[in-house]
Amino acid sequence: MKPDIHERAKQQLALGEPFVLTQPWLQVHLQECAACRDYADGAARAIRALRSQPFAADSALVQATQMRVRARALELRRRRERLGIVCLCAVAVTLASAFTTAVLWNGFLWLGQQWRIHAPLSQFAMLAVGLLPAIVVSILFLARGTHLADSRPSLQP
Amino acid sequence: MNASAYCPTNLMESDARAIARGLRQRDPELLDRLIEQYRHRLLRYLLSLTRNRELAEDLFQETWLRVLERGHQYNGRHEFSTWLYAVARNLTIDHLRKKRPDSLDGLRESHPSLPLEPADPRPMAWEVLQQREHAEQIGAALTGIPAEYREAIVLRFQEELPLEEIATVTGAPLGTVKSRLYRGLNLMMGRLERIQR
Repeated sequence: MKPDIHERAKQQLALGEPFVLTQPWLQVHLQECAACRDYADGAARAIRALRSQPFAADSALVQATQMRVRARALELRRRRERLGIVCLCAVAVTLASAFTTAVLWNGFLWLGQQWRIHAPLSQFAMLAVGLLPAIVVSILFLARGTHLADSRPSLQP
Repeated sequence: MNASAYCPTNLMESDARAIARGLRQRDPELLDRLIEQYRHRLLRYLLSLTRNRELAEDLFQETWLRVLERGHQYNGRHEFSTWLYAVARNLTIDHLRKKRPDSLDGLRESHPSLPLEPADPRPMAWEVLQQREHAEQIGAALTGIPAEYREAIVLRFQEELPLEEIATVTGAPLGTVKSRLYRGLNLMMGRLERIQR
């Protein structure tokens, strides 16, 4: 069901001035209809009251917010810098690993040929040498988690 | 020279783009300026949503932290204020959902007659009193109406946002925004009349 002209006029009036001024039918209707004119006055009064309501945010709140935002911005910048360094390190490690693997692979193949060792054996030796640092580090971490941790003096009274 | 470069719409767009660029770079000077510029408007909007000054102030700070962290999401196509209000609104809804999952009206029962606080105007004593009384009446009339109507009214008549921007901020269709304004204003007028009688 379509709203009647009075309802339509009130709906338009509730949207604020530009909608009243740009619609000739509404201006004509307001000249003819006293009830809608009263509504328009009431709406205009309410809107004026809303616009005139004073309001202020404390300076202390603004300053506190600015400080928090600056501190957070600094933290985020540091985090981004750290992430940048980590990414750079990851790239460097990847390149170094690729280079070292290629050198070791060819080195062990050459040694195998020189000493007439079977290819699978020289490949296994290369794998063992390649994995040795990781194995040593793993053992150290395990020891730190069990044996070395127990050997430290306790902080508990 | 392109004459349209002096058109206000283009100026607004270039402002919005400059803000978007600054936010992507997390420019602290820009953020300081924006906090200063939107201090009253944002807090008033948050207060209209929460009806609790302390909570509104907390959310004010959280909103600016969110703006800093998610600033890259602002593309400069809308007004900055529209995006800012949307961020503030989402934060408020998240907060109120955590507190009471039913609706934005959750705070109504806990603060039944808390009006929006007026500013300290500092003219003569009787003017101060009159202004305060006037502001309290409007605040009381506003706080009594449902949150979605109150939000539309504050955004339209206090923040002066166009209807389309209100629809963007609230995520509601334009027709819904219009009907919320109509119903809200009707309720507001009734309450104002009753209070002033």
